[in-house]
Amino acid sequence: MKKIYFDIAATTPVDPKVATLMSHVMTQTFGNPSSIHKFGQESHSVIERARLQLATALSCEPGEIIFTGGGSESNNLVLQGILKSGDHIITSTYEHPAILNVLEALQIKGLETTLINPTKNGVIDCSEVINAIQPNTKLISIMAVNNELGTINPIAQLSEIAAENSILFHTDAVQMFGKLPMDLSEIHIDFMSISAHKLYGPKGVGALYIRQGNILPAILHGGGQENNLRPGTENIPGIAGFGLAAELATQNIAPNIKNILELETRFLTGLAENGIEFTRHCNSHIPGLMNISFHDVKSNLLLMNLDMEGVAISAGSACSSGTLKASKVLLQIGVSEKLASESVRISLGKLHTKEDVDYTLQKISKLIPRLQNSSEINA
Amino acid sequence: MPKKKVLVAMSGGVDSSVTLSLLLDQGYECIGVTMKLWENKDPISNVVRNSNCNTVEAINGAKMVCDRLGVHHYTLDFMDVFKKNVVDDFSKEYLAGRTPNPCVRCNSIVKWETLLQQAHLFGLDYIATGHYARIHHEKDESYLLKGADILKDQSYMLWQINPDALKKTLLPLGEMTKSETREYAKSRGLETAQTPESMDLCFVNGNDYSKFLNEIMPEKMNSVKPGNIMDEAGEVVGEHTGFTNYTIGQRKGVGVAFPEPRYVKKINPIDNSIVIARKEAMYTDHCYASQLNWFIEPPTKEMVTFAQIRYNSKGSDATILKDGSNYRINFKDPQLAVTPGQSIVFYDNNKLIGGGIIEI
Repeated sequence: MKKIYFDIAATTPVDPKVATLMSHVMTQTFGNPSSIHKFGQESHSVIERARLQLATALSCEPGEIIFTGGGSESNNLVLQGILKSGDHIITSTYEHPAILNVLEALQIKGLETTLINPTKNGVIDCSEVINAIQPNTKLISIMAVNNELGTINPIAQLSEIAAENSILFHTDAVQMFGKLPMDLSEIHIDFMSISAHKLYGPKGVGALYIRQGNILPAILHGGGQENNLRPGTENIPGIAGFGLAAELATQNIAPNIKNILELETRFLTGLAENGIEFTRHCNSHIPGLMNISFHDVKSNLLLMNLDMEGVAISAGSACSSGTLKASKVLLQIGVSEKLASESVRISLGKLHTKEDVDYTLQKISKLIPRLQNSSEINA
Repeated sequence: MPKKKVLVAMSGGVDSSVTLSLLLDQGYECIGVTMKLWENKDPISNVVRNSNCNTVEAINGAKMVCDRLGVHHYTLDFMDVFKKNVVDDFSKEYLAGRTPNPCVRCNSIVKWETLLQQAHLFGLDYIATGHYARIHHEKDESYLLKGADILKDQSYMLWQINPDALKKTLLPLGEMTKSETREYAKSRGLETAQTPESMDLCFVNGNDYSKFLNEIMPEKMNSVKPGNIMDEAGEVVGEHTGFTNYTIGQRKGVGVAFPEPRYVKKINPIDNSIVIARKEAMYTDHCYASQLNWFIEPPTKEMVTFAQIRYNSKGSDATILKDGSNYRINFKDPQLAVTPGQSIVFYDNNKLIGGGIIEI
């Protein structure tokens, strides 16, 4: 059976070049980067080379990057490091749980929060952020790209608003980095979280960008690695892999976007030609991410049936045991409950081909009429 | 010919794991599903407690086995169906002074009816479970036979299944003994080979059903007050703590001291009393049955059969006779602690011919 992975927004396969490098580093460069001897020096250099690659990819200074255990950890380092009891934060209702659940925990300790709803276009309205500013607002944290909708937030404007009001600005850019060009020399972002596994790098590695001059109190304490912010002997192969993955992603970003957009159009045109009734949510998004409601077919039913045909997509947000909860994000942007329960996320990437799209089109076109006729039991 | 496709209900235990593996051996194409039926939440903190009912470990076990065997696995949320049809009925029955058998309802409504619908939605031909019972097809009729492992036979728990559903059901463990199942699982290296037997009610934490009832319907349980314990002559001999805390046939914890043991014979919510009696008085020679489900033509005249009034009880030869919309059952050997709300199941040798809910 064919196996097609259209869930690039969840995670990506590791690029073979990245895997080769990591495997080499893992076996050959095992010294402790903090050691004085040659073994340590080699490992240390691997990390610093990766830091340089990331800095180049983001147009920032290597000293502004620290490596972490992933996007969630980067978010935690910023939020827990910056926010104290009595502070106020402005964020959005559709942030990743690695923002929302951290804030929920901090609220118990006296943090004030304002959560802004996305507009019907799936983006955060700058004027609403301005209106939410209070004298004690310490941080504005708005994600760069929403993971379910693929919509792109006005990060440059939001960061200016923050700067004008002497408020720190953080963005969770996990879904943007590697998919759209980013130039940190042109926007005044204070903190930014990114992750390797969304751009064909390994899992378990992320980074936090900390604008020069910003002071971030540490929440983890130990051996002083990563500028005292992320103690513990470094994940050398993971970091090396992240460096290369970032380099590859930014080098080829223009041709990748072009190819992905072509496949996206082919898919959407194909659906229409096959007479499939669907609604695509929101007008503008990152290339390759489609949030689509197929009319009269429950999302999890389509997901599972398509999976049995070898095509992997996603729906709602999966919890750790793999059951599904209905998408809150779609309800937040005013999509009807019915359409929200019928929405799936199909995300394409650089490795996909026309054949993958055509195979999926064929399977979906066969499944939809059968599922529309089945009685509904999974409300 | 394309392979027939089966939806296998995976609890995460050894039985369903072996069921899946056997069906694959037999050439079926399989999909594994674990039904999420209940979350045992602490009523105050709302934190999910571990219980036997599809814990994360159970789901993980099912996923690992499916993965080892190259089978897709999904966790399906059937909590609404389960709550409405099993848990609500369970609570209602206890408030009526009866002792329900939720597993029977869960099997017929959740595991069969709902799973068959799901199989249809997945475009599959059959469902399969790891129950120890066999299905026999004869011309247009399908019925259940006791499992080959007479000690493990679970047909009693399946009496309420719609006979038509059996046509689309596979029970590959029916021919196996439990030890053969374990041996098989070990020989195939299935991760769930050593999982312990689950015995308690899956949704009731620690089998403390009294605590469970208090958590799930605190208002109604508040109205369950202490009342009189009476002997058979109607003499008040003590005070009970609330009738929902007692089960017919219960001896321990009744709280009344007699030289000879006393058993709960009757629970009467109307005057909030319970009646206790000596063991001899706990035997009855007849009872009634409601909500019958037949795998044969429903008997219209008196019929000789073998009746079993609880899982793992010996049972007795009996005659059954229609009595209004119910049936009356006369036991050849008087039966101990016949309990309203429990299941009575009728057999013709190994063949399960029907069943109902006990009434007195």
